[in-house]
Amino acid sequence: MSEPAFIRLDQVGKTYRTRTGPVHAVARASFDVRQGEFVSLLGPSGCGKSTLLMMVAGLEQPSAGTLGFKGQAIEGPRSDNGIIFQDATLLPWKSVIDNVLFPIDILKRPRADYEARALELIARVGLRGFEKKKPHELSGGMRQRVAICRALIHDPPVLLMDEPFSALDAITRDQMNIVLAEMLETYNKTVLFVTHSIREAVYLSDRVLVMSGRPSTITLDLAIDFPRPRSPSIEDAPRFRELVRVLRESIEQAHEATAAQH
Amino acid sequence: MSQTVNSNQLARQTGEVTAPKFRNTSGRALALPLLVAASVLLLWEIGVRMSGIPAVILPSPWAILELVVDKHDILLRHAIPTTLESAGGFLLASGVGILIAILLTYSEIARQALFPNLVFFQLIPKIALAPLFIMWLGIGSQSRLAFSVFISIFPIIIATTAGLSAADPNAVRLCRSLTASEWQIFTNVRFPSALPYIFSGMKIGITLSIIGVIIGEFITSQRGLGYLIIFATSRADTVVAMAAIVVLCASGLLLYGAVALAEKLTDRRYGVPRG
Repeated sequence: MSEPAFIRLDQVGKTYRTRTGPVHAVARASFDVRQGEFVSLLGPSGCGKSTLLMMVAGLEQPSAGTLGFKGQAIEGPRSDNGIIFQDATLLPWKSVIDNVLFPIDILKRPRADYEARALELIARVGLRGFEKKKPHELSGGMRQRVAICRALIHDPPVLLMDEPFSALDAITRDQMNIVLAEMLETYNKTVLFVTHSIREAVYLSDRVLVMSGRPSTITLDLAIDFPRPRSPSIEDAPRFRELVRVLRESIEQAHEATAAQH
Repeated sequence: MSQTVNSNQLARQTGEVTAPKFRNTSGRALALPLLVAASVLLLWEIGVRMSGIPAVILPSPWAILELVVDKHDILLRHAIPTTLESAGGFLLASGVGILIAILLTYSEIARQALFPNLVFFQLIPKIALAPLFIMWLGIGSQSRLAFSVFISIFPIIIATTAGLSAADPNAVRLCRSLTASEWQIFTNVRFPSALPYIFSGMKIGITLSIIGVIIGEFITSQRGLGYLIIFATSRADTVVAMAAIVVLCASGLLLYGAVALAEKLTDRRYGVPRG
């Protein structure tokens, strides 16, 4: 527990300038993520969760506060993140294997060094035999599995996931949660995971941070203490339901507080 | 049990109803337009023969075809410069047009300064400017080439600009997160995503480029199909003018076909199957 912060956000704020005046997307968000920890950001749509994630990725600059990675300030994109979006964002003209190896091409690393790893990742997400297929030949869940492989190919220490499964149907989504948990047993990563599904957050996370509406702050930091590996059946455990209830109430309170302000 | 029988009967009934609907649709898609074209030509042929319209007003399709076969050497001699100049004008317009579109995509100042003017130019009837090009650049092929580029470049610029900004923003974000250079983002994401747009612009461009060359030949030239049409009509030689138009159509189809073929070949590599 005394490990130093791997990712640190200190009083981070983000204000967008728009024609109708400034919009405060994030106000004073502070939290630490330890190495190997799975942290979910939970909150209603449009509460600035994705903005926070993009700032950690170095793709957006904070208007206030600082972000750090391994003790160094995050000033721009670094190649040590794997990003997964809500949409799989595969390049439609590339095959599965070429999409998985795409970061290697961009990083100008030798492709041959990573081909074996790509095949292994594809096999682990259950897509063996689909290497030469094009994205349009795959289902939504399969495409998102390819996106997971692509995020892991260059072995980044950090995975940033922006509502990765929210466009999938409920059954596929549950399967994807299991696939992701299994992948993380094999490839130990530090994960920052944005979602608005309470059950998903509890099932996957070591810690769940609840964010309020705009301008958002962290209103609850809840440790999820189920041992790993977790079976999908933990969702029936009374403790699981208790955690879900606590989180739901916290979100509702945050929502009411925001509504009262307006 | 009785329900199963009923649903089976229903399936059989609907099967009988829907089956003929799906038969031969692809054959019909080819046969119908050919049938219409053949009927028009046949009615034209019969109409000309029955009514005795003089050939100087309307020659029969058969007479035009005979002339195309008989005078194929003369027609070909005029078709070659027209086709080559059209292709040249189109290639120049594509190259320069795509470069201008890249400039417009990457330079906000260039976009703000040029784009409204480009849209304005797109609206004016550019054919009216053809005589000026002859005045400025003379009666050689350079004026026809320049005019052909001038009228065919606008759809290529506008389509390419639209295509380059149509790339998936998350794919661009993914590249940025991997510290990709703008050049890597361009070659890996923006340009391949723009290809369908570029080809749709080029398909409009190729037909306009032929129009540009023909207009140039109408105004002043000693060769080319446009010249032949003007020359023949001035001597009331309608059959020759019509034959030149037939050859022009063939040349246009050839050039359009070349662009469509290039699109098909890039589609194999960068294509996104539709539907």
